[in-house]
Amino acid sequence: MALPLPPGLTPSEVGFLCEMEHVTVIPRQTLDGLELLGGPTGALKPPLPTPLPLWLALLLKKQRRANITPPPWLSVEALTQILDFETDERTAELFSPLPDLPPATTTAPLEGDPYLAHDSLELSAPFLKDAATARAQADALPYHWLEIGHLLITHAADDFDDLDAVRKLLRDLREVRMSKLRKGFEVLDAGGGVKMNGVGGMEIAEVRGFVGGVVDGLRRLNRSREESRKERETEERENGLGSSSYRDDEDEDML
Amino acid sequence: MAPYYSPTAILTDAQKAPTTFSLAVPALSHSPLNNNSGTPITPATTLDLPLWLAEMLAVSRPSGPASAPLATLDMPSALGPKVMNALTADSTSVELRQQAQWFYGLGERMLELFEDEEMGAVLLNTFKKRALEIADKAQNTRTAQQGGDSGDFMSGLDETERQLFRAAHDGTHTVKRWFEATSRG
Repeated sequence: MALPLPPGLTPSEVGFLCEMEHVTVIPRQTLDGLELLGGPTGALKPPLPTPLPLWLALLLKKQRRANITPPPWLSVEALTQILDFETDERTAELFSPLPDLPPATTTAPLEGDPYLAHDSLELSAPFLKDAATARAQADALPYHWLEIGHLLITHAADDFDDLDAVRKLLRDLREVRMSKLRKGFEVLDAGGGVKMNGVGGMEIAEVRGFVGGVVDGLRRLNRSREESRKERETEERENGLGSSSYRDDEDEDML
Repeated sequence: MAPYYSPTAILTDAQKAPTTFSLAVPALSHSPLNNNSGTPITPATTLDLPLWLAEMLAVSRPSGPASAPLATLDMPSALGPKVMNALTADSTSVELRQQAQWFYGLGERMLELFEDEEMGAVLLNTFKKRALEIADKAQNTRTAQQGGDSGDFMSGLDETERQLFRAAHDGTHTVKRWFEATSRG
């Protein structure tokens, strides 16, 4: 009521949060390890590559104290391969796959309930361990691919081999995926779902307002039908229980 | 009941529906409800009352559960058979705003009172088809502002659809602005 913003992250917030991802940096000057809130960063000893959070990497880059290594999936070959996958007709329903999730590091103390474990640290998107460092997977787009890609080509332009090609490929990828998302709008229904494995953070933020509004409107229109269906279901269930008297009749017959 | 403080719900309930009184109410003859005319409200008068008032009258039973309600509620013309047929034929060409400013809200309230499965299905289909159109238009706002032929559809959207359009447009717009902002820094 009081806060006019819609629920969920806005695109600018997603763009801000992506700077928490780690990227590989090649330092040019030494720097001691920093004790950041998110965890300690390694000491910078040139020319050893070190992973650092993106915001810090961008800052050092601006001060010319470091160079950023583009992650493997942000190269011309990798992006071309992913773009071919996306534009292939056979994958019109899917998005390119996510990087593999790390194997589970703990076993759950309760059978089949990892959420209740005190010390389980199951990592999942968006902040996987090596999403954008030099050890990232080269054939999958991590959750923040669009934001990280854009920030790197803007601020670390000289670290790329072929900047224009990368920029063009990023733009093409974005258009292809957005058109796939929009085609998914057609199957929106009050109780339906769309398969969105592999969609990135910025893409979700873009369509969140619209899709949320449509699904909510459909839910409201469907409300009376849902309620009558639920009433019918509970009635049937009660009638089903009542039919256990069938067995009582049999017993009486046996006597 | 609709949430108390929501302006959407208040405006939706303020829309009118035809109500037929089943008893005489002489004291209200000069009220604005009767268009300030002096004609007495006899048991067969039909007036257009706002939904919140009409629902209360239609649902209340003053002398106990067996008696007849004070008034009977009919389907407003915005949801009548003519509009329903037009929507089944071509959902995107009907000007919903002309029928009722909060069309889907009106439909929702009516579906609560009358259980009309067919009307529910028609409304759902209409909503889905028009939502697709809105998504298309939100992408190409540049041409929409210049062109005039898409103005008919846009002016025919009811309030909920306008909010949808704004949400879709805002999404794309904010992303574009973020890209520009980060390109500068």
